[in-house]
Amino acid sequence: MRRALLAITGLAASTTALVVFKGSPGATQVAQNLPTAQPVNPTPQDVDPGTGPTADPVAGAPTPSVAPSAPASAKPSKSTARPPGSPRATTKAPTAPRTTTKAPQSTTRRVTGPGVDNEYGFVQVQIVVSGNRIVDAVSLSLPSGGESDIHSDDVSSRYDGTGGEVVQKQSANVNTVSGATETSNSYKQSLRGAIEQAF
Amino acid sequence: MTYPHTHAAGRRTGTSSRHDGRSALPVPPQVPDRRGPGGRRLLGLLLLVGLLASVLPWWLGTPAGSLRSTAATVTAAGRITGLIAGYLLLVQVLMMSRLPVLERWIGGEQMARWHRDVGATLLVAVLAHLSLILVGYADLRNQSILAEVGTLLGDYEDMLSAFVATGLMMLVGFSSVRAIRRALPYELWHLLHRSSYLILLLGFGHQFTHGAQLYKPGPVRTGWIALYLLVVAALLWGRVLAPLAFNLRYKLRVADVVAESPDTISIYLTGERLGRLTMLGGQYFRWRFLTRGCWWQSHPFSVSAAANGRWLRLTVKVVGTHTADLREVAPGTRVWAQGPSGTFTAAHRVRERALLIAGGSGITPIRAMLEELPPGAALIYRARTPADVLLSRELDWLAQERETSVWYVIGSRDDPGPRQLMSPDGLRQLVPDVARRDVYLCGPPGLVEQSVRALRRAGVPRRQIHLATFEL
Repeated sequence: MRRALLAITGLAASTTALVVFKGSPGATQVAQNLPTAQPVNPTPQDVDPGTGPTADPVAGAPTPSVAPSAPASAKPSKSTARPPGSPRATTKAPTAPRTTTKAPQSTTRRVTGPGVDNEYGFVQVQIVVSGNRIVDAVSLSLPSGGESDIHSDDVSSRYDGTGGEVVQKQSANVNTVSGATETSNSYKQSLRGAIEQAF
Repeated sequence: MTYPHTHAAGRRTGTSSRHDGRSALPVPPQVPDRRGPGGRRLLGLLLLVGLLASVLPWWLGTPAGSLRSTAATVTAAGRITGLIAGYLLLVQVLMMSRLPVLERWIGGEQMARWHRDVGATLLVAVLAHLSLILVGYADLRNQSILAEVGTLLGDYEDMLSAFVATGLMMLVGFSSVRAIRRALPYELWHLLHRSSYLILLLGFGHQFTHGAQLYKPGPVRTGWIALYLLVVAALLWGRVLAPLAFNLRYKLRVADVVAESPDTISIYLTGERLGRLTMLGGQYFRWRFLTRGCWWQSHPFSVSAAANGRWLRLTVKVVGTHTADLREVAPGTRVWAQGPSGTFTAAHRVRERALLIAGGSGITPIRAMLEELPPGAALIYRARTPADVLLSRELDWLAQERETSVWYVIGSRDDPGPRQLMSPDGLRQLVPDVARRDVYLCGPPGLVEQSVRALRRAGVPRRQIHLATFEL
């Protein structure tokens, strides 16, 4: 029994040590780069001032003028911005004139959500709104590299696109992709920002 | 499994009187070679390396400084404990696989002790994994822990079975706490413990569907699955194939049942090819007597005579219904045996001479071992009454043959005589070089505990004390 107690103590100590070792270099980094970073997640954590919620009414002609470039994040190497004029966005464009004939003020708008930093990288979402409907969602940036590629692919294939979950649910209340909890959460956070901006 | 019996032959003395007609042994047993702790250490090292390797994927896959929020840190700790728990579960099952090589290197008794310690650690690791992941995820999703449980159970594949596995593990763990275990009927405890295989099965899925390190196809995932396959193979080999081969080979049958004392019987077994059976005095088998009332029960009993090529014998004290049934076993009954197991043997000695302390029916493995120990051993035989002394004629014969000093210490534990003798001073008086001897102990728990304490105070190093424990 004495050995069991020893083993349990060892387990606790080594787990703590591992986490502390991995966490320590980052702690200073956070302190330098993000003096106001909040320890808890609920509010958008690391909103990049340059890419706050921006709404760009694109009346009639849907040119991808917004084209947000990869925002400077705390870890630039981890974030890769998708090409702004993604095929999905442009193929969706021809439907825009039809919607304008219905209601004069109803135009197709592209709204970019706030950039959200999480432990794996940078997440930013853009939605295309027609009238009061979300007709498309595009993830402009998702974490990349190693395992993150898989999770990011999962997240974008679930949420993005004209038939994705965002368009189906018409809200930020989408199901978390299992295995990619944090990326899903950051996606939702950015999405929520975009939706608030759009409506 | 062969033991070269050559080098010790010249060391034996006093064998001239062996063939005077009293010996039942056609081949005189010889002192077996020592088995050092090398195998045990190697395996311990291997298991430790495995433990480190199981956390390595997390270490490599987590960029330094990436644990920025509390939630991320807590989740990371949850992942580490999860990996450790997954690995320990495999170790637990492996140790109970009865793989012959493990039985030989580590021994059933040592393995049972490891199993208990690793078991406690495993339970703590699983509970830590569960609670850390819950807290971490709940924080990330910004919801209460109860809501998080709902999310995990509802939205996550394989998570329900993982929760069931945790519940089962808690049941198994708590039912094994000694105080609780004593209060439970053995059969219930055994059934609960058998459900551990279910834990292995139920806990399998969630590791691969959600494990951050095992999710992605690659060497880590493949290696983890390979570990599972290895353990299942070890189980199959140790619990099914090896016993099958053993029993098909030796075809053991009951030859005779003999009363040794009013409440003790000896069962003699014969079989085929027993000359090639390698077994050491002091080892035990798990016996299954294939009669109508007994076939479903398997119990460990020591063999009470060294291998002699003609018969095996186990000597059993009648204490329960099963042992009472054994009295009635008819000659010719087939016996299914699993073993031999145990490190309570002459081969595990670390010194040249030995002191053996037996209590009551604990004499049986010691009686078998006496044939194989180097000459000059000392035996203290504790028994409550003279009627409780078993196999005394054989002991007297062995005392002569193997130059063994035998003391019968009769009386209750609280009588002044036994009390004085079983004290550090008493032991030193009786056996002046006790600190330089191996001490083999077998008997009721009270006697064993008391003796170990006295021996330690008499200056016997721990590694020289050998215990025969069947507690499992």
